[in-house]
Amino acid sequence: MCSSTSVLGTTLKGTRRIAPPSGAAIGLLARPRPSEPVAWTEAEAIRRAQAGDSAAFDFLYQLHSRRVYALCLRMVNNPADAEDLMQEAFLQLFRKIGTFRGESAFSTWLHRMTVNVVLMRLRKKSLPTDSLEETLDPDAESSSPKRDVGAPDLRLSGAVDRVNLERSIEQLPPGYRTVFVLHDVQGYEHNEIADIMGCSVGNSKSQLHKARTRLRELLQEQIRDQARQERQSAKAQSGSKE
Amino acid sequence: MQCKELEAVLESEGLSPLPPEAREHLAGCTSCQDLLADLSAIVVAAKRVPAEVTPPDRVWVSIRAQLETEGIIRDTEPVAPAASAASAPWWNGFTDLFRPRVLATVGAGLLVVFGGMYVVEHRGSNNTVVQSPVQTPQPVQTQASQTPATPEPVTPPPVAVNPAPAVVAKNSPQLTHSPRATSPSATRLSTVDGLRPSPSEDMYLGDTAGVLSQTEDALPRRELANNPVVDASLRQNLHTLNEFIAECESRLKQNPQDQLTREYLNMAYQQKAELLNAMMDNGRSEH
Repeated sequence: MCSSTSVLGTTLKGTRRIAPPSGAAIGLLARPRPSEPVAWTEAEAIRRAQAGDSAAFDFLYQLHSRRVYALCLRMVNNPADAEDLMQEAFLQLFRKIGTFRGESAFSTWLHRMTVNVVLMRLRKKSLPTDSLEETLDPDAESSSPKRDVGAPDLRLSGAVDRVNLERSIEQLPPGYRTVFVLHDVQGYEHNEIADIMGCSVGNSKSQLHKARTRLRELLQEQIRDQARQERQSAKAQSGSKE
Repeated sequence: MQCKELEAVLESEGLSPLPPEAREHLAGCTSCQDLLADLSAIVVAAKRVPAEVTPPDRVWVSIRAQLETEGIIRDTEPVAPAASAASAPWWNGFTDLFRPRVLATVGAGLLVVFGGMYVVEHRGSNNTVVQSPVQTPQPVQTQASQTPATPEPVTPPPVAVNPAPAVVAKNSPQLTHSPRATSPSATRLSTVDGLRPSPSEDMYLGDTAGVLSQTEDALPRRELANNPVVDASLRQNLHTLNEFIAECESRLKQNPQDQLTREYLNMAYQQKAELLNAMMDNGRSEH
């Protein structure tokens, strides 16, 4: 699975070590369950879940929910919607868990469902953003939203903090946002993203580059806006003193 | 190699390692150097965005209830607390009211509610358009989607003031309730202009920070469950939150009118209150 993050996946063919849900991968506001005697591998949990074992469902949820929720949150920018989408994704997953044969990693399978659920919702809502079809086509002219900001590029070094970046990620088209979050935030490799998104590896690389380039433009716009605001407030202050 | 060719290389190969021709071009082209530096800065910054965010407990409760309804989960665990509650005398409930977690939860909840009411009331007197703090999330969503110029932020996970989950059906009002309805973003959307932060808001944030700080100071005296991994994870979470809070506070000092950062800060405070509740519930923690 991912090399740069702690995500551990498994297929039914091969088993890898899985951090228990109450382990070191606990995210913000985690509810640790120290008394839970969970020492399964993911493959074992999947087999148990396929047999209807409630503790196995709980285990799989605890194992993956933080990543899935983070992905939903970054995609829809709204905690209530993110909860709803995550619930839908997990319900789909658990309803279909009997059909999981382990051809791909479990987490890839789950993320594919999640991305589909999220993108479907975004399409239904028809948000005022570029459509996924447009952004997934690397050859299309429209796939790279070119915005002439009418000023020379600013060097971003030191100006990219977390708040600025999160603000800019929100403004990315859904296709770009998905690939950027999966690769640069969650640490998935291009072949995994291609599997999740149902596109080629080259397409995933191209989308990522375009997402980063668009983020650069958005961040530069933010820096200009902030500088403009500072100038205006300084002018207003000097005006009020006079 | 030309600049366009270098960009094609970046698109197909990523940021590193660059082939020799690309490096050669880069050595003499400041524009491409800037591009590469900026893209690298974005990649580095993206690593600081949390890849994992814990969802509220109510989501799993709801999923589980749905799975049980559909018969996908076949065996259900016995509900021990209910059985013990049935056999316990009724007056035991009074002592539960004074457990640290309950007190902390009630305290944090009251602080958030009163703070929210204070801010909304204050703004209500200054603006022509006032949005009720108990407005349903749907209108807020509509407003947000209609104003792309002021996109909604990626807010941290919502914090239930009372973290004890209740079993709710899918799409029930409780599950779909948006914390934004009572969050500063709701009031931000309701305002006509950009709004300067009011002194009451600053006072509210300051009070919240003070209470949380006191609660945090009280933590080392408590004892945690015998699980060093959980302990380390909780400490790490608190550290991450404190870092984010410090970052927001520093940004607010630079630009007090930054409403979005103010929202992030408010959400971070709520998260911290929730985390401290969890830590108090589990007892000991060093930080």
